[in-house]
Amino acid sequence: MFEGLGHLFDAFQTFANFTTLFNVCWATLVGITIGALPGLTATMGVALLTTLTYKMVPEQAILVLISCYVGAIYGGSRSAILLNIPGTPANAATTLDGFPLAKQGRAGEAMGLATTSSMIGTFIGVFFLALIAPALAEIALDFQSYEYFWLAIFGVVIAGQMCSFDDALKGWIAGFLGLFVAMIGQEGIHAEERFVFGWSELSGGIALIPALVGTFGVAEILTVMRNRAAEMATSVVDHVIPRWKDLWDYRRTVVRSGLIGTAVGIIPGVGEDIGAWISYAAARRASKERELFGKGSKEGLCAAETGNNAAIPGAIIPALTLAVPGSAPAAVLLAAMLIHGLRPGPMIMIESPDFVFQVVWMVVLATIAMGVFGILLTRPLLKILKVPRERLMPVVFVLCVIGPYAITLRLFDIYVTLFFGVLGFILREMKYPMAPLVLGLILGDILDKSLRRALVLSDGDFTPFFFRPISAVLWITTALVIISAIPAVQRGAARVFNWKKA
Amino acid sequence: MHTRPLARADLITGVILVVLGVAAFVESWGMPRLEERNINPWTAPGLVPGMLGILIALLGTVLALRSAFAGAFGPQLPLDDDTPEQRRAAWRRLVLCSTLCLVYSVGLVGHTPFWFATGLFVFTFIVSFEWEWDEAWASRARKLGIAAAIGFLAAVAIPYLFETLFLVRLP
Repeated sequence: MFEGLGHLFDAFQTFANFTTLFNVCWATLVGITIGALPGLTATMGVALLTTLTYKMVPEQAILVLISCYVGAIYGGSRSAILLNIPGTPANAATTLDGFPLAKQGRAGEAMGLATTSSMIGTFIGVFFLALIAPALAEIALDFQSYEYFWLAIFGVVIAGQMCSFDDALKGWIAGFLGLFVAMIGQEGIHAEERFVFGWSELSGGIALIPALVGTFGVAEILTVMRNRAAEMATSVVDHVIPRWKDLWDYRRTVVRSGLIGTAVGIIPGVGEDIGAWISYAAARRASKERELFGKGSKEGLCAAETGNNAAIPGAIIPALTLAVPGSAPAAVLLAAMLIHGLRPGPMIMIESPDFVFQVVWMVVLATIAMGVFGILLTRPLLKILKVPRERLMPVVFVLCVIGPYAITLRLFDIYVTLFFGVLGFILREMKYPMAPLVLGLILGDILDKSLRRALVLSDGDFTPFFFRPISAVLWITTALVIISAIPAVQRGAARVFNWKKA
Repeated sequence: MHTRPLARADLITGVILVVLGVAAFVESWGMPRLEERNINPWTAPGLVPGMLGILIALLGTVLALRSAFAGAFGPQLPLDDDTPEQRRAAWRRLVLCSTLCLVYSVGLVGHTPFWFATGLFVFTFIVSFEWEWDEAWASRARKLGIAAAIGFLAAVAIPYLFETLFLVRLP
């Protein structure tokens, strides 16, 4: 306990300087702007900034990326409220009540509530980040290859299920395609080349940043330019400082949404958008004014915005302690940590315990900056939303092209970005979620090495995969998730539920 | 049985996935077993990709069968309520955007100076999307001026950012 407080204090000292303040301010502002602009997502923002920060010292680089991440998820609420278009997928639930509020002439009130809810949500999440991450890292020390194998399968299956509620099959397909793409290039045990077909540039495998910039950047540009331009609900803003009474009235909703968001964030690959939806659904179920939901409910808006921002620290927890990201932006963050020579994973509390607490401070600082900018810069941010997409998207595309190139100086990475852009666009059009694909790309290497190492350890015996305690929890949960997605099982469960109700 | 949206597209995707999965399995099966190095056979490089190939083929089969039983061979449901004219306009925007992006990233970057490629791309992109023949000449001239200014700024600022500040050698 006291050791933890000591690390927390040491970590704070790292950031008590002017450089930190400067970096937090500009990166959060960039994040809010990226989030507010439809078509620029948090994942794209963090990926593009990764390419711009790799010459910084690691702590400041990760600080910049986390600030951008926090800012972007919050910034997305602006376009959700004013344009009825979620700035990032995490703000989709915000449109349901935010846009009706704006149409009623209460856009400022909605933005103010979104700001405070996002702040509280992130603080709830960061509390659990400080509390859970060290404990989870300790538990993860017991993980062996058997557990990592199941963790990879569990991650892909549960992310596929939760990111594609109405069609889990497509989520799983996306996840397993991601795992398969990760098999391309030299494998990690004998350095044998796989699926390279004589193409030397494929030997190193598919790098994560080009794939992510393609999937979330180029695909998004194609989608935005294909769709019709959106119109703003209002350009008049009422008061943006939220009333304490509103926050007090919805305190239960905010705390519940914060807890749900954090928990959903921890689940591999699921992320902020699902955090917001589940928080929104739970708030609606528990609300006394549920008939207002979807028509401009302040409670619904609070739930969605608390849920998505609480998922940010939640998603960072497994990224830090298991090297398994909780969301797509956290996946980029994980890649950035590796680029900067940091080693997230079970050993983090042994090798660099201060870093975990530095991350806690990074999120706290970014949240404060987000709140300050969110309230003070309401009107300038409205102007950003008026920038025509035709003038913005070509510049963003140039950054999508040159960003991945800047890391390795290979033209090949530009072509990888393009390929994943087109693939991501087609898959999105056919309703395949992108988060499991990205998670699969990251977990592919873990799956590959873990299965083969585990089989060597057990000399081909499969029983440890099923009877070791953590393995058993993981495979049973995975099996239950798969079974529960089968339509016949769902119908049976619904019948049983209705019968009991009757 | 009601028709599922995207049923036909899902059927085609399912078939593609089966082909991909089987091909991945066959390729994995043919990968070196490294017996000459006396490695443990459980660490053979093709083990996991082969397993993934089987799983992808299985998932593709389920997707294809589900689509076949959900109206893949009948008339398809529209995905949105856009008019045919709106769909054509969306398609035109997509083709134009893809073409410009492809020409820039494959044809220009790496083959012409980066600043020139970027300035030209940004200018052409903006003009292509904003140009309207039936507009007054003053409005068109204003749009051209704005596009040229943004193109010029992009051509100067982006190379400066990467080359001077981040010391990246641009293509």
